[in-house]
Amino acid sequence: MTGSGDFTYRRVHRASPELLFDCMTTPEHLTHFWGPVGTTTPVGNITIDLRPGGSFETTMVSDRDGSTYTMRAVYVEVRRPERLVWIEPDVEGGMRTTVTFIDLHDGRTEVVTHQTNVPAAYLSAEARAGFTTSLDRFDLYVAGLGTE
Amino acid sequence: MAVVEDELSLVFSALADPTRRAILERLAHGDVTVNQLAEPFAMTQQAVSKHLKVLERARLISRIRTAQSRPCVLDTVHLDTAAGWIARHRQIWADRHDRLDEHLAGLQAKQRWDVATQ
Repeated sequence: MTGSGDFTYRRVHRASPELLFDCMTTPEHLTHFWGPVGTTTPVGNITIDLRPGGSFETTMVSDRDGSTYTMRAVYVEVRRPERLVWIEPDVEGGMRTTVTFIDLHDGRTEVVTHQTNVPAAYLSAEARAGFTTSLDRFDLYVAGLGTE
Repeated sequence: MAVVEDELSLVFSALADPTRRAILERLAHGDVTVNQLAEPFAMTQQAVSKHLKVLERARLISRIRTAQSRPCVLDTVHLDTAAGWIARHRQIWADRHDRLDEHLAGLQAKQRWDVATQ
């Protein structure tokens, strides 16, 4: 996946890797936190077939006007409790999301979300070929430019 | 929306090249002419002009037409748009994990309650 935009998000939670993995892969859990602010994702709108090649679909409903947005993904790797990989083929080039659950052995787990081909829809073919800076570092870089 | 996305792809595309990013960094220190830009990058004026055209098309820089030397000026509005997209994407994940934290706290409280009432 060289040459695509990368995005990484890290967060430490006070929970076991198993519980966090289950939260990320169970509709009854996901409904509580998945959709962006201003949306809800009812349990009935979440389809999960937890196996490589199985589907992961969520339809988020806007609180404001009831409009919906469906994320369609397919699991690539399912390894409880350490790793979960899905790909969104609808997003140009196929956005790939890898979630890694790192046991910190003190009751906490670090969840690392790494996405490649982001934001594919926003990148031209030329940019995808040459875009080697990760979006994270790129973000810092742009912020730095603004302050000079 | 399509127009905005297209402008953003021009910006990302322009920023994909390390030389062009270096040019922008140089411009962040102040306006410069093509001659002044060509020097530190050990490039011909022609090569620099090509990069500048890409940056101009993405509206990351502008050229002062009135001055004979036509100095290049950094235009931060479009840079901010690109940075804004990344920030929003980051915010979606941050919010998601905030709510996950709340959900976990709820689960743990329920577990303590279950244990206490057994």
